Amino acid sequence: MAPVSKRDKKEEEEGGNIFQNLDKTSVLQDARTFNDTPVNPRKCTPILTKILYLLNQGEQLGTTEATEAFFAMTKLFQSKNAVLRRMVYLGIKELSTLAEDVIIVTSSLTKDMTGKEDLYRAAAIRALCSITDATMLQTIERYMKQAIVDKNPSVASAALVSSLHMSKTAGDVVKRWVNEAQEAINSDNVMVQYHALGLLYHIRKTDRLAVNKLVAKLTRMNLKSPFAVCMLIRIACKQLEKDGGDYADSPLFDFVESCLRHKSETVTYEAAAALVNLRNTTARQVAPAVSVLQLFCSSSKPVLRFAAVRTLNKVATTHPPVVTSCNFDLENLITDSNRSIATLAITTLLKTGAESAVDRLMKQIASFVSEISDEFKIVVVQAIRALCLKFPRKHSTLMTFLSAMLRDEGGLEYKASIADTIITIIEDNPEAKEIGLAHLCEFIEDCEHVSLAVRILHLLGKEGPKTIQPSRYIRFIYNRVILEIAVIRAAAVSALAQFGALCPDLLPNILVLLARCQMDTDDEVRDRATYYYHLLKLQEKGLIFNYIVDPMQVCLVSLEKSLAQQVHDKVPTKFDLKSVPPAPVVSTTEDTAKETIPEGSISSAPNRIVPVQSTVSSYAEKLQGVPGLQSIPGTLFHVSEPIELTESETEYVVTCTKLTYPHHLVLQFECKNTLSDQLLENVRVQIEASEGYRIVKEIPIPKLPYNETHCAYVVLQFPEQLSLTVTNFGATLRFIVKDCDPSTGIPDADDGYDDDYMLEDVEISISDQIEKVSMDREAFDRAWEAASDEDFTESEDTFNLPGMSGLEQAVTKVVKFLALEPTGLTKVSERSSFTLCLPGMFRGGVEVLIRAKLAVANNGVSMQFTVRSAHSDIAELICAAVG
Amino acid sequence: MVGLNNSGKSTIVSLLKSDGDRNSEIVPTIGLNIEHFRYQQVLFTMFDMSGQGKNRYLWERYYKNCDGIIFVIDSSDRLRLAVAKEELNLLLQHPDISGRKVPILFLANKMDVREALSSVKIANAFGLEKIKDKPWHIFATSALTGEGLQNGIEWFTEQLSQSDLNN
Ligand SMILES: Nc1nc2c(ncn2[C@@H]2O[C@H](COP(=O)(O)OP(=O)(O)OP(=O)(O)O)[C@@H](O)[C@H]2O)c(=O)[nH]1
Ligand SMILES: [Mg+2]
Repeated sequence: MAPVSKRDKKEEEEGGNIFQNLDKTSVLQDARTFNDTPVNPRKCTPILTKILYLLNQGEQLGTTEATEAFFAMTKLFQSKNAVLRRMVYLGIKELSTLAEDVIIVTSSLTKDMTGKEDLYRAAAIRALCSITDATMLQTIERYMKQAIVDKNPSVASAALVSSLHMSKTAGDVVKRWVNEAQEAINSDNVMVQYHALGLLYHIRKTDRLAVNKLVAKLTRMNLKSPFAVCMLIRIACKQLEKDGGDYADSPLFDFVESCLRHKSETVTYEAAAALVNLRNTTARQVAPAVSVLQLFCSSSKPVLRFAAVRTLNKVATTHPPVVTSCNFDLENLITDSNRSIATLAITTLLKTGAESAVDRLMKQIASFVSEISDEFKIVVVQAIRALCLKFPRKHSTLMTFLSAMLRDEGGLEYKASIADTIITIIEDNPEAKEIGLAHLCEFIEDCEHVSLAVRILHLLGKEGPKTIQPSRYIRFIYNRVILEIAVIRAAAVSALAQFGALCPDLLPNILVLLARCQMDTDDEVRDRATYYYHLLKLQEKGLIFNYIVDPMQVCLVSLEKSLAQQVHDKVPTKFDLKSVPPAPVVSTTEDTAKETIPEGSISSAPNRIVPVQSTVSSYAEKLQGVPGLQSIPGTLFHVSEPIELTESETEYVVTCTKLTYPHHLVLQFECKNTLSDQLLENVRVQIEASEGYRIVKEIPIPKLPYNETHCAYVVLQFPEQLSLTVTNFGATLRFIVKDCDPSTGIPDADDGYDDDYMLEDVEISISDQIEKVSMDREAFDRAWEAASDEDFTESEDTFNLPGMSGLEQAVTKVVKFLALEPTGLTKVSERSSFTLCLPGMFRGGVEVLIRAKLAVANNGVSMQFTVRSAHSDIAELICAAVG
Repeated sequence: MVGLNNSGKSTIVSLLKSDGDRNSEIVPTIGLNIEHFRYQQVLFTMFDMSGQGKNRYLWERYYKNCDGIIFVIDSSDRLRLAVAKEELNLLLQHPDISGRKVPILFLANKMDVREALSSVKIANAFGLEKIKDKPWHIFATSALTGEGLQNGIEWFTEQLSQSDLNN
C-alpha cells in the first residue's frame, strides 16, 4: 500500500474516510497510469482500490469507461507484486459484467490458477469463472476438474464455489464434474467438504432418487465438517417434507435427531431448529429438540440465546406447545441486556400467551421500543397483528400502541407493516374500524411515504363511506388535495368520489370539492376530477355503481391490444368488453399460504403491485409470432401452469402448457432433446382427442438439435357439449431421428428413421376454462345476490372430502383444484366451518360464482358446493367436475 | 507479439524464458499472456497475443504503448499466408502504429518443417520491402530447435536500444 500521507493520517484519526470525496472521472484518469512501463505497484494499488471502492458505492460505469479501465488493468499482469495481482483479480470480478471482451485475460488467469504461486491460485479461479460464459467453459473444464481435487484447500474451495455459480449458466457442463466433487467430499478440510456437498447436492437436486442415495451414504459416513453436517440436515429435512407422512421409522429423521447430540453447537442448533420446523411431527418427536432450545435459552453465549429465541419466535404460531414448554425460560429473557433477544422473547410470549398477559408485556416492550432497530420493530408489529386477531377485545390498547409507533421515525417497510396491521385489524374487527381509520387519517397528515399515503387514501375511500359519520373523513382527504404532490392528490380525488357515490347527503359538498380539483395543475388529477364530477352529477345509480364503486377490472395490456385489433379490423363488429380477460390476480394464497394462513393475516391490500405484463398477455404476444396460430378467433383467455409429460432426466423432455381461447384450446408442447448424438426432425405430439374435440391444426418442430428447446403446437376446437370438455388425451411424441456426430451435431446420413416416445396423458380440467377474478367479499356477496334471479341458474351438490386433516387442507385443495382466487380468506385454521367464495370467469366471458361451505365432519370435511352462472351448462359442468 | 494462431508465438516465448521458468505445456492462447523475463541481460515484457481469428481485433488494444513488434509467421502454412499478410496490413495502417518508428521483427517460424517457405519467399510474398518508415528484419526460426531465434532477438534488442537513444 502507498504510505499514508500526513494529511490523510490526520483525517483518519478524525474518523474521516479518505475515499469520501472520490470523483469517478479523475479516478479513471489516474487509471491510465496502469499503461506505464514498468508498472509501479505502489502507485497502481491505491488507484485500483479507489476503483473498487467507487463500484461498491454503486457508482455506474459506462461500457466504454469500464472496458478502458479493464484493458488498462490487464497490463498490470506484468508486475509480480502479489498485493497488486490480487487486487487485479478483484478488479476483474467487478468489471467482468460491465466491460467488453473480458475473455482477454483467460490465458493469463489459467496460467495463474495452475501456476506455482499458491497465493494466486484460488483468487485466479474465482476471477476466471466470472469472465467465463457457458461457451467458453469447455476450454477451462480440464483445469476446473483438477482444481476441485487440488490438495490446497483454498484452491479446491474456490473451484467448488465457482462451479456452483457457473452451474446457473452452464449446468450441463458442471454436471460432468460430479466425480471430482465426490472426491472432494472426502477432504479433511471443513470448508472443502462443505462446499463439495453444496455442489453435489446442487447437481443432483432435481433427481430425488439420487438425492436419497447421496443422503443415505453421507449420513453413514460421519462427515467431519460441522458446516457440511448442517447442510446435510437441511437436505434431509427437505426430503422428509417431500416424502410427507410418517417419520416414525425414517432413517433420515433418525439422522437429524442424532445430530442433537453432536459435539458442535452449530450442528446441535441446526438439528433442533430443523426438527421444530418440520410439519406434522408429534409432540414426542420434537421434545428432544425443544430441550436443546431450552438449554440454549439460558446459555451464557448471547448468540445461542438469540438463535434459540428466534427459532421459538418463528414456530410460536405453528407449534404452540413447543413454545409453551419454554415459557419460563422466555420470561427470563424479557430483561436480557441484548435488546434483540428481549424483543424476540416478548413477542414470542405475546403470540402464545393469555389475554391477561398482554398489558404487562406491552408495557415491557414500550419501555425499550425506541432502542431497537426497524427490523425488530417489525417483529413487534407482527406480534401485535397476531394478538389483535386473537384477542379482538384488546384492540384499543394495541391500536394506541401502533399509532404511537406510526408517529415515530422509521423506514417505509416498518411503516407499511404498521399500516398493514391496522388495515387488517379494521377488516377483521368492525368495532375497531372507526378508531383505526382515525389513526390512519392522522398519519397521512404527516406521511413521507407516497405509496403508503396512496394506499391509505384508497382505504379511506372504501371504508369511510360505510362508517356512521362519513363526513369527518372529508377534511382529512381534501387536505391532501391542497398540500400534496400529484400522485397523492389524484388518489385523494378518487377517494372523495367514493364518498360522493355512496353518501347522498355529502354529494353536493363533494361536487363542490371536485369542481375545485378540476383546476389542478396536474393532468391526471384534473382528468380524474372531471370524470368523477360528471358521473356523479348524473346521479344515476347504475352508472355510479359500475364506474365508481365497483369499476371493471380488465387486463389493461389485453384491453389495449383488443382495441387496437378492433380499430385495425376491416369488418366493424361490436366491441365486447367481456372478451377481454379480467385483470391478473396477484395470488396471495399460492406462495404465501404456508406462511400467512396460520397468522391469519391475509389482507386485501388494494394497491398490490400488479405485474406490468400478465402471463396471459405475454403469451398472447408470443403466440402472435407463431405462424399458423394468428388465425385463431378471439383473444387468449387463460394460460395453465406448465405440466411435465415426461419424467425429468429422460432422453426427451416435454412440458405442456394449455392455452385457452373462447372456442379453442391450444396445446403448447415444449420439447427438449437431451441426446447429443441425435438430431430430431419433424417433431410433433400426436394427440388422441376425446369425443367432441376436433383437431384443427398441428404445428410440428422442423428441427430439434441436441440441447435445444422448441415448441410444437396442437390446436383443438372445444366440443359444443360442455360436459365433454373435461377429459384426458393420450399423447405420443413422434419424430424422425438422424444419428449424428456428438461434437459437431452434423448428421451421419441424410435419411433418418421414424421413432416415437410415449408421454403422460394431457389432462383437461375445469380450471383450464375459468380465469381468476379478483373481488372482495362484499362485491362477491352483492354479485351473489344479483345472481339469484331467473336469468341465472344454480347448481348445487354436497360432497364428503374424506381423509382431510382439517379445514385448512380442504380449502387449499378446493382452491387449487379450481385455480381461482378466494375472497377474504382469514383465519381458516381456527374455525370449524368456513365459507369459501370463488368468483371466476368462464371462457367466452361468462361470469361464474362459486360458494363452498366447508365444515369439519367426523371423518373428514363435508362440503356444500354451489355454483351460480347465467349458463346452466356451465354451472352443471363445474359442479360435476368437482365431484 | 502477434501472428496467426498456431504460428508458434507462445512456444517461442516459452523458449526465451530461462529454463526453470518454462511453461510446461503450450495450449492455444485465449486473450493474451503477459510474460516478463530476462534474455541475455535484457528485460523483456512480452504481450503474447492470441492469434485466433475471432480474437485478432483485440491486438490493437495493446499497440499504443509497445516499443516493438514481433510478428510470427508459420512458414509451413502456405494456405493462410494471405490471411497473415492481410493482418499485417491492418497492423501497419493502424493509427497507433502507422506514424511511429517501431521496429518490427518478422519470424518465419517452423523452418524445420519440410514444406516451409524460405524467409526470402515470405518477405517477397508480404511485400516487406515496401515498409520504409520502420526498421524491420526477417529471420527463419524454429521454436523446436531454437535455431534462428538468438539472431532475431539480438537484432531486435539492438533496434530497441537505438530507438531508446533517439527518444
Ligand atoms: N514443427 C514446428 N512446430 C512448432 C514450431 N513452433 C511451434 N510449433 C507447434 O505449433 C503449435 C502451436 O504453437 P503455439 O505456440 O501454441 O502457437 P501460438 O501462435 O501461440 O497460437 P495461438 O496462441 O493460438 O495464437 C504447437 O503444437 C507447437 O508445438 C516450430 O518451429 N516447428
Ligand atoms: Mg499462444
